[in-house]
Amino acid sequence: MVSINLTVNNQQHSLEVEDRALLADVLRDDLKLTGTHIGCDTSQCGCCTVLLDGNSIKACTLLAAQADGCSITTIEGLASDQNLHPVQKAFSDCHALQCGFCTPGMIMATVDLLERHPDPDIATVRKNLEGNLCRCTGYVNIEKAVLQAAKLKRGQ
Amino acid sequence: MAPTTAQTQPPAEAGKLQRHEDYRLITGQGRFTADWDLTDQLHAAMVRSDIAHGHITSLDLAAVRSAKGVVAVLTAEDVLAAGYNPIPTGPPIKDADGNLANFNALPLLAADKVCFVGQPVAMVIADNAHHAHDAAALAVVEYEELPVVDSPATALRKEFSIHENSPDNVSLHFSHGDKQAVDAAFKKAKHRISLTIGSQRLIGAPMEPRACNAQYDAATDVTTVYTPMQGLLGMRGALCAMTGLEAEQLDIVAEDVGGSFGVRSGAYPEAVLAILAARKLKRPVKWVAMRSELFIGEWHGRGLTLAGELAIDEQHNITAIRFDDTVDLGAFNSYFGGFIGTNNLWVTMGGAYRVPALYMQSRLVYTNALPVSAYRGAGRPDIAFAIERLIDHAAATLDIDPIAFRKQNFIPADAFPYLTANGTEYDCGDFHTVLDKALDISDYHDFESRASSAREQGKIRGIGIGYYIEKSGAGGAPKDQVSCRFKSDGSLLLHAVTGPSGQGHETTFALIVGQGLGLDPAVIDYQAGKADENLVGNGTGGSRSLYGTGSAFKNLAGNIIEQARPFAAEALQCAPELVQFDEKADGGGTFHTAEGSSITLTALAQQQALDENGHHPFDCDADTVTGANFPNGCHIAEVEIDPETGVAEVVTYTAVDELGNVISPFLVEGQVHGGVVQGIGQAFNEEVIYDESGQLLSGSFMDYAMPRAGSVNELRIGSHSVPTALNELGAKGVGESGCSGSLPAVSNAVMHALRSVGAGPIDMPYTPMKLWETLRAT
Ligand code: FES
Ligand code: FES
Repeated sequence: MVSINLTVNNQQHSLEVEDRALLADVLRDDLKLTGTHIGCDTSQCGCCTVLLDGNSIKACTLLAAQADGCSITTIEGLASDQNLHPVQKAFSDCHALQCGFCTPGMIMATVDLLERHPDPDIATVRKNLEGNLCRCTGYVNIEKAVLQAAKLKRGQ
Repeated sequence: MAPTTAQTQPPAEAGKLQRHEDYRLITGQGRFTADWDLTDQLHAAMVRSDIAHGHITSLDLAAVRSAKGVVAVLTAEDVLAAGYNPIPTGPPIKDADGNLANFNALPLLAADKVCFVGQPVAMVIADNAHHAHDAAALAVVEYEELPVVDSPATALRKEFSIHENSPDNVSLHFSHGDKQAVDAAFKKAKHRISLTIGSQRLIGAPMEPRACNAQYDAATDVTTVYTPMQGLLGMRGALCAMTGLEAEQLDIVAEDVGGSFGVRSGAYPEAVLAILAARKLKRPVKWVAMRSELFIGEWHGRGLTLAGELAIDEQHNITAIRFDDTVDLGAFNSYFGGFIGTNNLWVTMGGAYRVPALYMQSRLVYTNALPVSAYRGAGRPDIAFAIERLIDHAAATLDIDPIAFRKQNFIPADAFPYLTANGTEYDCGDFHTVLDKALDISDYHDFESRASSAREQGKIRGIGIGYYIEKSGAGGAPKDQVSCRFKSDGSLLLHAVTGPSGQGHETTFALIVGQGLGLDPAVIDYQAGKADENLVGNGTGGSRSLYGTGSAFKNLAGNIIEQARPFAAEALQCAPELVQFDEKADGGGTFHTAEGSSITLTALAQQQALDENGHHPFDCDADTVTGANFPNGCHIAEVEIDPETGVAEVVTYTAVDELGNVISPFLVEGQVHGGVVQGIGQAFNEEVIYDESGQLLSGSFMDYAMPRAGSVNELRIGSHSVPTALNELGAKGVGESGCSGSLPAVSNAVMHALRSVGAGPIDMPYTPMKLWETLRAT
């Protein structure tokens, strides 16, 4: 077991975790933040995407111990005071989710994408979502939602 | 303990959202099966066969049992002792003489023989998931290996067999239609055009990995099972059949389900074993699949080879179609495998065409591979694909215009209802109009100029049409039943058994009832599969939830009005028959009298007291019986291939679907998008590959190529509606049609491109490697 400190959605946590515990497992099992989903075991699906010190990462690719001292934002921490984040709003507006299982990861990946590319073209959107799988939507409305969220964020 | 409480109603600050489902799903508050942790729960992991075919000579579990945290291990002996049954083999399928197929059912745990890689051998139960998986890895299973039937072709060579009752590896020789008439037509035919198409094995891959959690309450003798599913009755029926428990002894919970696509239409061994373990150990037992387990442990889809032939006369009329099909069942008959290879291949085998003679035969064969069951369309996309490839192939071979050839042979709009030569009645349609609309939206007639600009860039373009017609499911339940519960604030909770997994039932059913009652859909909630409502009905499957369950909800609105009428009469002081209901009144659905006094349904509902059981006097139910219907449509794909790399791009894709009346256009478009891209995934990338020893080579998302963002560059949607009279809504199914349109459209486009440089035809998937090699060879 190792002791770690994590700041998750602005809350501090001191935790004892197994050496081999993945960050995704600790978020879900220890902190009960079940909005971070696990969709694969080869780091391909992106369902587990969270922000680690502001950058999107797949929480299944990191040991929880490696995140010691880091600040993490999960899907549960994205909306502030019940005001939805523009990316959340755009996903609903554009019907970019059906079953919703890929959605937390898609949204977190999009938040990061728009930090790096505030006004992305469609090719940039597609390239940056390569690591996130969705089986329901065919991605058509997800691509639309990302572009719409960019506009919302830019205040247009 | 339940995960964080789901908040279904968004706070006002969230603004208006598209769907009822959205708020919890975009804020991480959805509750999928793996999200449930129950007090005192144990965790299970599976021991699975790592060979494709062999006798188990020894199963040494000593190290497993003594491993850290292990509480119990289940083997075939425990299953036998409990008297549990194997996986259901599906509807009874018969040959032309009425003889039943040979059936071989997948045991919950293998006793003495394994028949595919991944077959469950034991379940290990421990105090946590890590310990369960660690211990499972310590199982020592020794096998005497048997020769492996690695493909249907090997199976049909009959050198060795898998099951004693099927020495030729064939479960059923099926046939349907008028062979004599077809043979006679082929004798007279001027042209005979044949083509064999393969529809390769696929994985369903809902993004939520399958999971279950079973909790036994000894006081009530009820086991609560948390599991993804497509509908209460299908899941409970399968679990009852396997466990021998009565329906009242099983409570099933599926709040959010992360996709299903057919592969979740019945129970799997793990859920049944979790029930067994939970009842035995008197503690909840949770199992969550690793993705790699699902590649070898969740039914595969497709696996069909369809050899078709058209008989064509001098004037280019199609005079007969015949098919000779090979259906890969995998190692066992499971759920829908047999249905796919028989019924679903003949029922629309004439496509959208007026063909006087139809005949098909199929062989359902066993292979040492994972069983195949339903996957989005379950045989319908495959047959639609085969017909439309044949049509294009014939047009190309005879050097005639594929559009004119289609139009000449279409069933004309004035010929409905139309009875096909093999006995299917299409109730309505207008294929010419739909085709013309798609030609227009896709800018078909300007294709040559786009192709020549592409040529200047060194690219090869092709355009292809797929005109599908499919039969949406009639459903196996006697009717679709729904009910409602009013709350004292006048809001409404709807119930039915169909299990959503992304289709947006909460939104659409609320909309239908809201429209009928003049209520804001926001005050109407929907809950699927609540056992104590005792409703019957179908699950999601066959694209039928909207027109089946949705039609029942349309009737429910009428029943609620009748239920409330006497109360309105009393409130308005007049005779019930003089009270009118106006669902379009300002301020919401309103009862009024000729004299002008009125009361809204909501106000009236709020005035009534709930009885001691919490029932409101307006609570009631409704049902409907709906048969199948025939969604159809024209999809046109334009693809561009880069001969340097073999990479193909779907530059534009047009889908014009004829789905009858559409209730929620944005949800329907979403279904079309998803279906089209699943078809594009199959066409270009996806393929389950076994090697000759029966080992799965495509066992992860690194080896199995899923469609990703950008799979289609530009998707154009159009529609034309010919409402069906076969259900109250006038709606046709949409869930599966996307695949049925896209497989042929995309394939015909690729073949068109290849033909323009003298290459092809080739089989799916059209991977860059295959396209590059094909182009190099010409
Ligand atoms: S669970 Fe992390 S990428 Fe799939
Ligand atoms: S919405 Fe279901 S996987 Fe993306």
